[in-house]
Amino acid sequence: MSLLEVRGLDITFRSDTLPVTAVSGLDLEIAESEIFGLAGESGCGKSITALSIMGLLPPNASASGSILFKGMDLLTLDKESKRRLRGKEMSMIFQEPMTSLNPVLTIGYQLAEVLFTHLDMSKRDAMDKAVELLKAVRIPSPEIRVKEYPHQMSGGMRQRVMIAMAVACGPSLLIADEPTTALDVTIQAQILELIERLREERKMSILFITHDLGIIAENASRVGIMYAGRLVELADTADIFNDPRHPYTIGLLGSIPKGKGTQLRPIPGNVPRMQDLPEGCKYENRCSYAISACRTAEPFMYKVSEGHFARCIRTDEVRWNS
Amino acid sequence: MELLRVEALKKYFFSGKGFSGPDKVLKAVDGVDFALEKDSVLALVGESGCGKSTLARLVLRLTTPTGGRVFFKGQDVFAMGREELKSFRKSAQIVFQDPFASLNPRRTVYDTISEPLIIHKIGKRQDHKDVVAEILRTVGMGPEVMTRYPHEFSGGQRQRICIARALAVSPEIIVADEPLSALDVSIQAQIINLLMELKKSTGISFLFISHDLRVVHYLSDMVGVMYLGRIVEHAKADDLFARPFHPYTEMLLASAPKISVGDMKKPEGIRVASAGGEAPSPFNIPSGCPFHPRCPKRFGPCDRVVPKLRESEGRLVSCHLWHNPE
Ligand SMILES: Nc1ncnc2c1ncn2[C@@H]1O[C@H](COP(=O)(O)OP(=O)(O)O)[C@@H](O)[C@H]1O
Ligand SMILES: Nc1ncnc2c1ncn2[C@@H]1O[C@H](COP(=O)(O)OP(=O)(O)O)[C@@H](O)[C@H]1O
Ligand code: SF4
Ligand SMILES: [Mg+2]
Ligand SMILES: [Mg+2]
Repeated sequence: MSLLEVRGLDITFRSDTLPVTAVSGLDLEIAESEIFGLAGESGCGKSITALSIMGLLPPNASASGSILFKGMDLLTLDKESKRRLRGKEMSMIFQEPMTSLNPVLTIGYQLAEVLFTHLDMSKRDAMDKAVELLKAVRIPSPEIRVKEYPHQMSGGMRQRVMIAMAVACGPSLLIADEPTTALDVTIQAQILELIERLREERKMSILFITHDLGIIAENASRVGIMYAGRLVELADTADIFNDPRHPYTIGLLGSIPKGKGTQLRPIPGNVPRMQDLPEGCKYENRCSYAISACRTAEPFMYKVSEGHFARCIRTDEVRWNS
Repeated sequence: MELLRVEALKKYFFSGKGFSGPDKVLKAVDGVDFALEKDSVLALVGESGCGKSTLARLVLRLTTPTGGRVFFKGQDVFAMGREELKSFRKSAQIVFQDPFASLNPRRTVYDTISEPLIIHKIGKRQDHKDVVAEILRTVGMGPEVMTRYPHEFSGGQRQRICIARALAVSPEIIVADEPLSALDVSIQAQIINLLMELKKSTGISFLFISHDLRVVHYLSDMVGVMYLGRIVEHAKADDLFARPFHPYTEMLLASAPKISVGDMKKPEGIRVASAGGEAPSPFNIPSGCPFHPRCPKRFGPCDRVVPKLRESEGRLVSCHLWHNPE
């Protein structure tokens, strides 16, 4: 059974002029204990999709459709129940841990706070548990580290602390929004290993958001590729990399250098603003496969094979060739 | 021909003049030697804080060294007089990571690109329009953009404008400090192709700083791997990526996520991070081999004897595994 089921999600921002639709008709499912990778370039709607699941959209945004989590629709759930889910049943980590940590409180106190707010634990027990959590995220000398403040730690250590806070109450869903983007590759590899171990030990599902397809290739079991607020391709990880069937996915893959001498095939043009998207297929103006039919109506998701879908009317002809 | 030579270059920052104890010394660049041949790309890689940007600034004489020398075509850059320095400033250009911060928001594209022409008295004023149009063409932009302002462009287009500004004075070397980091993947690929074309068509040499190993392999001829202010391995890009010699290079390469299209295999189980620990503070560089606390291959002499950067099978490595520590 899916843990999370997003159906027809639309997210719209109010503005002084016309409202801007930043996410449109998004469907996705995350199974228990799987890592679902969500990829796409900046501005395509990854973060606000995550925030809408967490119930943390900014006040000028509104969401419609449905987000079923363990059978409950998060979009209609009352505020108080949502607040209780957050941090306990589902939690989120971000690219920059410093923005979510309080600079004037110790690491230990902030961890303990999560525990006694959600788990009805005494402050004393919570402080002991904090040390254990730091150990679980493999922070060296946790007994000393609990007494430190965020600025005394490196970026990698702070991200470990964020992960400890996020998994403190044993959530079934962890949303990780570019958690390693600000880190060096060496530290990134350590954090990815940690996330993967925690997932396995705790049977958590993970929504892993990144712009780095390499991370997806190595860590996710299923992948959604987003472009301009739409999911354009959805498949098992091996299928995305072995048989990509949306021209945008092919464009992204062709943009990654793969050894000397190979031809780089960048996508022409620029990542569009949500305000000036083409009428039909949103990728039409950058797409080498585009025909006139692409301009008239927005394609829906075509089934390529079991579990593999692409939002392209020509998906049958679209192939990667190296 | 050798374009650039760096000898025993050092940059220390002194800080923390406290009531107790001596000054603390941060060794940002701690004895670097390398040479850059004409018509080639030398990449510098290494974790953040290892001194790449400081080294770039030293090479361009944007900061003064604590020790060591930089030679541009045989001339000591820090001993140059006014005229020589002016000509050096023309020959050596820089492109930064952030194309947003490095363009003046109140100047049009034409103003931005023609400014170096005016400063260096290149060509006649009335010809500048044509010159600028030609440079814009080289970076893949049309002449119609000349009257527009930076905010009207996307990140990739702004980086093209920065590159155009660097090209305006026909430099011999461009130092590019993480020029792709702020850009989206699809836009990065456009800029990589542009840099490759420039390399082929102009003979400009590049000192290319990047943390993206895939890009480095693709773009560079030589690679210098830096750790805590020193170069620990210096080799042909192909050699280095085929088989890293230094354990730190090995760790870096193993940490980068692999990607292959068409023949991807499902990874089995948890990929154990090959990288142990984090780089120590440059205030406190470990004894012996600076890498020894994180090195999975350390042995007897590693925590006592500093390895020297020495030749081994056609490349330079500083590791006791490759040279007897005598
Ligand atoms: N606070 C906001 N106000 C108005 N529009 C916003 C806001 N945040 C995001 N958007 C819009 O939503 C789009 C998607 O943003 P985001 O989810 O942050 O993208 P990603 O995480 O994929 O880079 C943006 O392109 C922008 O149009
Ligand atoms: N102006 C400065 N004053 C003090 N320390 C500096 C200064 N510039 C750089 N550093 C320090 O020098 C080291 C190397 O920095 P940098 O050259 O920017 O590294 P990189 O570009 O490889 O990330 C870092 O520890 C950094 O904090
Ligand atoms: S000198 Fe020793 S510690 Fe340093 S890299 Fe070589 S084996 Fe490792
Ligand atoms: Mg985001
Ligand atoms: Mg730098």
